[in-house]
Amino acid sequence: MNGRAVVVGIGESAYYKHGGSPDSEFQLACTAIQNAAKDAGLELRQLDGLVSYMDDRNSPLRVAAALGFDDLKWSATPWAGGGNNSAASIQFADAAVSGGYADYVVAFRALAQGQFHRLGSGSGAAAGRAPEGLTWGVPYGLMTPAHECALQTARWMHDHRVSQDALASISLASYANAQRNPRAVRYGRPLTRDQYHASRWIVEPLHLFDCCQENDGAAAVIVTTPERARDLPGKAVPILTTAQGLGPDIGITAFQQRHFPSMYYENVGRTIWNRSGVGPRDVDVLQLYENFTGPVLMALCELGFCLPEEVDGFVGDGALEGPDARLPFNTSGGNLAEAYIHGLEMVVEAVRQSRGDSTCQVANVELSLAVGGPGYAPGSAVLFGPAES
Amino acid sequence: MARYLGDNWIAPILTPRNTPFFTAGEIKIQFCRDCDHAQHPPDDVCYGCQGRNLEFRSCPGTGRVESRAIVHHAIHPALKDKVPYVIAIISIDGAEGCSVQGNVIGCAPEEVRIGQAVNAVFEAVYDSVSEEQILLPQWTPAEAPS
Repeated sequence: MNGRAVVVGIGESAYYKHGGSPDSEFQLACTAIQNAAKDAGLELRQLDGLVSYMDDRNSPLRVAAALGFDDLKWSATPWAGGGNNSAASIQFADAAVSGGYADYVVAFRALAQGQFHRLGSGSGAAAGRAPEGLTWGVPYGLMTPAHECALQTARWMHDHRVSQDALASISLASYANAQRNPRAVRYGRPLTRDQYHASRWIVEPLHLFDCCQENDGAAAVIVTTPERARDLPGKAVPILTTAQGLGPDIGITAFQQRHFPSMYYENVGRTIWNRSGVGPRDVDVLQLYENFTGPVLMALCELGFCLPEEVDGFVGDGALEGPDARLPFNTSGGNLAEAYIHGLEMVVEAVRQSRGDSTCQVANVELSLAVGGPGYAPGSAVLFGPAES
Repeated sequence: MARYLGDNWIAPILTPRNTPFFTAGEIKIQFCRDCDHAQHPPDDVCYGCQGRNLEFRSCPGTGRVESRAIVHHAIHPALKDKVPYVIAIISIDGAEGCSVQGNVIGCAPEEVRIGQAVNAVFEAVYDSVSEEQILLPQWTPAEAPS
């Protein structure tokens, strides 16, 4: 940590609507890793570490065998949840190379929600009866992340008098930025505030446009040491620090915390700022995982960007839209409007910002922050510094 | 009473840990005999003192709406004619820090308010697999809406 590892390669497949990919999920995974290796100037056989999350299907054995790794020395997956681990995957890669356990570690995530089930389709619903872990919600029709996040959002909006327009502002920012990004699934599909408010409820207070997409695609990030990066042709982006966080009294589900509602980001923020010596006001560009817009607002506040009572003003009036925004935010379009690759595509965008390669490039980026999914524990974040060539 | 989401909607699979909650016909919450810590969902270790001396205790059957949301998009074909329905988080009187998931029945979804007092009621579900009678805790407004 703290500058002992760098990102030397990023790669993506094309991104599709769910069910739209002509390639299988495993082909998408391999494409993203091949593209990242090419970007780094590495041979596939040199790769010797793999990290993914919530990804049992594309196992390290299968990936290393198919891509011809010489010697897989590190494989790891963070426990629990899903997109909350998008930034944690970079922490695991950093830990491997900083500790000397592997030389070139790939963090990747592949999703083909057409080939396989859709994450939002409701856990265990097809089974007819709910196993113990799901019995507390499914018999009540409370069974998807949208339901859980709507309950958290509703209470938070009530407690802090947050308007529906604040939720809209998150969605509008992601959609506006996606219009600059030809890779985005929602490119060419701008969103207006009126369209947002007119869209159907999924689970009130979440409209259709408050909810992330479900997509097919894959993204990959290659991490190594600064010493090895000097022998590679491209830019190296320093991983300044990373964090995972949970906090005390968290209970076993999001509803049992003694301080409900919460997104698990207070401790992540505290750790990131303590380890890096900077604060939220120093961040030049932010990628914050949108599962749903309400949790984004809550995580913004828990990370220290603003107080809940200020959030309407903080995100309103286009404050998050475009490269010259007050807080440049989700500059590729994020999960809402670029593609939902479980947030790893947003880590890729954070790296692009540090390299100066975004389609919504912010000037003079010194600090580029990527934050994992809110509302599922533990949360995670990664802070990148400016690229070194 | 007929179930809020239909008599064919998914029922819990009973296990030693969840059977008291789903079959007692009253609100039963897990407590620690040693330190009186209350916790839900139940687990094998007390989160308050790390003890193993746990038991289920009866609570008064009253609570408060901590949050509520109205589901409009049916996630399952069996719920298509049940939307919109209301889901809620209810804090349990007599079990500090414990909340349960549920529905608030006996009023329109939009009438459910954060902070509202509610009373437990129970929906009977016969589970043909375990051959046990489930009494699914649900909630209804303590006072009729004015």
